[in-house]
Amino acid sequence: MVFSSLTFLFAYLPITLLLYFITPLKARNLMLLIVSMLFYAWGEPIYIGIMVLSILIDYVHGFLVEKYRADDRKARWFVAQSVIFNLLVLGFFKYWDFLAVNLSQLLGISIPQMHIPLPLGISFFTFQTMSYTIDVYRQDAPAQRSLIAFGTFVTMFPQLIAGPIVKYKTVAEELNVRKHTMENFALGARRFTVGLAKKVLLANSIGQLWEQSLASQDAGTLTVAGGWLGLLAFGFQIYFDFSGYSDMAIGLGRIFGFQFNENFDYPYLSASVSEFWRRWHMSLTSWFREYLYIPLGGNRGGTAKSLRNLLIVWLCTGFWHGASWNFVLWGLYFAGWLILEKYVLCDFLETVPNGLRRIYTLFAVFVGWGLFAIEDLEQCMAYLAICFGGGTVWSDADGYLFRSYAILLAVLVIASTTVGKRVWESLPVRVAEIAAPILMLAGLFLCTAYLVDSSYNPFLYFRF
Amino acid sequence: MTKAYSRTLTVLFCAFLGGLLAWHIVLPDRSTSEAENRTLAQFPEFSWKTLADGSYAKGIEAYFADQFPMRDTWTGAKVRTEQMLGKREFHAVYLCEDRLIAAVPEPDHALVARNLASVKKLSERMPVLIGLIPSAADIWQEKLPSGAPSWDQQGLLEQVKAMGIKQIEFRPVLQRHRQEPVFYRTDHHWTTLGAYYGYRAVMYALGQEPLPKETFLPETASGTFYGTLYSQSGVHWLEPDTIEFWIPEDGLTVTSWRSGKPQPSMLYDRSYLERKDQYSAFLGGNQPLCVIENENAARQEKLLLVRDSYSDALAPFLAQHYQQVHLLDLRYYHDSVAKYAEEQDIDQVLVLYSIPNFITDRNLVLAGR
Repeated sequence: MVFSSLTFLFAYLPITLLLYFITPLKARNLMLLIVSMLFYAWGEPIYIGIMVLSILIDYVHGFLVEKYRADDRKARWFVAQSVIFNLLVLGFFKYWDFLAVNLSQLLGISIPQMHIPLPLGISFFTFQTMSYTIDVYRQDAPAQRSLIAFGTFVTMFPQLIAGPIVKYKTVAEELNVRKHTMENFALGARRFTVGLAKKVLLANSIGQLWEQSLASQDAGTLTVAGGWLGLLAFGFQIYFDFSGYSDMAIGLGRIFGFQFNENFDYPYLSASVSEFWRRWHMSLTSWFREYLYIPLGGNRGGTAKSLRNLLIVWLCTGFWHGASWNFVLWGLYFAGWLILEKYVLCDFLETVPNGLRRIYTLFAVFVGWGLFAIEDLEQCMAYLAICFGGGTVWSDADGYLFRSYAILLAVLVIASTTVGKRVWESLPVRVAEIAAPILMLAGLFLCTAYLVDSSYNPFLYFRF
Repeated sequence: MTKAYSRTLTVLFCAFLGGLLAWHIVLPDRSTSEAENRTLAQFPEFSWKTLADGSYAKGIEAYFADQFPMRDTWTGAKVRTEQMLGKREFHAVYLCEDRLIAAVPEPDHALVARNLASVKKLSERMPVLIGLIPSAADIWQEKLPSGAPSWDQQGLLEQVKAMGIKQIEFRPVLQRHRQEPVFYRTDHHWTTLGAYYGYRAVMYALGQEPLPKETFLPETASGTFYGTLYSQSGVHWLEPDTIEFWIPEDGLTVTSWRSGKPQPSMLYDRSYLERKDQYSAFLGGNQPLCVIENENAARQEKLLLVRDSYSDALAPFLAQHYQQVHLLDLRYYHDSVAKYAEEQDIDQVLVLYSIPNFITDRNLVLAGR
C-alpha cells in the first residue's frame, strides 16, 4: 500500500488510528506491529515471511552481541553474521538479475535470471536492521529485550517502504516509552498533510511534464529547451515525491509518538555539491557515513585512502538506488564532483558569490538527474546529448508546455526555498492558528480530488 | 501550540478521513457511471488464492476508488484546478474555450504504411476512392492552444496522393467551412453539417452534382448530447451538443446484419437519444454490415463504403442518389472486401475513414485480401 492512495487515506489510516488509540498503552507496540504487518502484506502477502525471518534473525543477533560483549571477537562475529544475512537478502532480491546478466556476459556462462518482484521497502528495512546490531555492538543503544518492540521497529509502517532510514538508536528509547499527546497528533497530522500535498499535487503533476519530454525523445522531436525543461521537471518530481513521502512518514511517526530524523533540508538551496549531499536524503548519507565511510577509515590515512573510501561509498550509494548501470554511473558522477570540490575547487569556490555557487550546484545536480532518471544507458546518453546542443534549440511545442506548466513551476521553485517557512513563522500566532486548519482542509480536499481523478477511466465507445 | 489549536487540527484531520470512510460505507454502491460511461468495480469476492497473489487487494482498491462518495464532483474539481493553473490538456483532449478537441498522437508509421498498402491493393482490383477525413485537430488547428502538439494530418494526405490512389478531397471542403460547426464540441465526430460537406466532396470525386443544402430540412433531434470527448477529458462544464437529422426516412429501406442475419433497421434509431452515446442514433451505431436501399434513386448503382463511424452520418446523403449503399465495418466484419464487392456486384468502393481511426486501425489489412 502507498500513502498516496484512497484506500490508505480513507480506510487503512482512520481504522489504524482508531485501533491504536483505543489500545491500552502497554499493548500499543503490539497493535502497531499487527497493523504494520497488514500494511506490508497488503500488496504481496508472501513476502511477509522474509520480514518475519529478518526480524527473528536480527533480534537474536542483537541479543547475542550483548551477551558476548566481553569476548570482542565473538561479538564482532555476530555483528558480521547479521550484516551478511541482510546483505544476502538484499543482494538476492534486488541484485540477482543484474548480476546474473552481467556475470553471464563477462564470464561467458549462463546464470539464470529470477524475475522476482522486489519486496516492498527491502532497501530500507535491511539497512535499518543492520544499524540495530551495529548500534548494539557500539553500545549506542541497549539490545531490545522485547521481540514485539523490535518487530515494531522493523515493520513500523510510516517509514517502512520509503524511509527515512531510522537508525535504531534514534528510536530505541521511544520504543519502550513514548508520549502520545494531542499536540504530537496535531503536529503530525499537519506534517502528514504537507507531505501528501507535496506528493500528490506537486510531484505527480510535474511528473507529467517529464513524461512528455520522454515521449518527445521517442518521437524525435525533443529540443535543447525541451530537454532541460524535462530535467527540471524530473528534479522537482523526485524532490517533492521523496521529501513529501518523508514528511508523511515523519508526520505519522509523530502521531504515534516517535521523533524520526529529518531527511531533507532544502537541498536545492545548497551552495556546493557536498553541501547538497548533506541536505538531500540525509538519513541515507549519514547511514553510509556512520556505518561504511568512517569504519573504512574516513578521511584519515592520507589522500589515496580517502579517495578510495569516497569511491567505495559513492559506488554503494549509487548502486543502492537501483540494480542498473546508470545508478552506478550516477554514484560515480557525484564521487567525481565531490573529489573535484575537495581537492581542486575548494579555495576557488570560497571566492565565488553565493548565488553563482547555487547555480553551479543546481547544474551539477540536475545533470545528475538525467543519469538517474533513464535506466537505459544508450537512451540516457542520447537524452543528455540533446540537452547539450545535439538538437534544435526550441520549438512551438516547448512554448506550449512551458505555458501549461509555468504556474506550477513557479510554485515548485518557491516551495523549494525557505520562503514559505519564513512567511509562516512571521505570522502572528493567532493568524497561523486560523490559517492552519483552513490550509489543512484545502490541502486534504485537493489531494482527494487529485487521487480520485487518477482513477478516472472513461470507457470510450469509439475505441475497442 | 495551544491546546485549542491542537484540538482543532486533530479533530479536523480525523473528521475528514473518518467522515469520508463512514460516508463510503453508508453510501449504496453504484453499478455504472454515466460520466465515465462504464461499469464500476464492485466489492471483490474473497478467496485464499486471490488473497495470496495480491489480486484481492487490487480489487478492493479498485472498488474503493470507483465507489468513492461524490466521485464525479472530485474529478471535476481536479480538472477545474488544473485549468486555473494554466493547463489546457486533459487526458489527451485539448480544452479550446467552449469546445474539446482530441489530440492526435504520432502514429505507428509501419501500421500506417500497411493500411495504405492494403487500400492500394484493393484499388488494383476494382474502382476505389479513398477518403480520409481530417479530425478537428487539423480543421480547427487555429482553435488549439498555441503550440499544442498534434500530429500533422496533412502529411498523410500528401502521402496518399503520392501513391496514386484516387482521393476524395475532404480537407479543402471542411477547411472552407471551418467557421461553421462542422464537428461537435464535446464529441470527436463530425456533425450532420460536417457530414453534408463531406457528402459534397464525395459527389465531386464521383463526378456528380450534390444536392444543395436548401434541399434538406434539418430537424433538431437532441439538445442534450455529451459526446466521447466530454467523457474522456473529464471537463464537465460545457454546454451539451445538438444532434440534427436532415434526411426524411420515407423511401429508404435500411437492413442491418448485426448477427449474421439481415434484420430491418432504421435510418435514425431514436432510442439512442435517451442514452449516453447519442451519436449511435445514426443507423443504430456500430455493426458489421448495413445496407440502405432507395427504390427511387436516380442512379441504378451500388456503392460500398469500407468505413468507420463517421459514415453513419454521411451515408444517408449518398442514399439520395444511389440505389444501394453498403456499409462495411472491418472492426466487426472479418472477411475479404473484394469477395463481398464481387458477390454483391458493387460498382464503386469508397474507403472512408477519419484520420485518427485510419492511422490506428488494425483490421484494414482485410481490405487488401
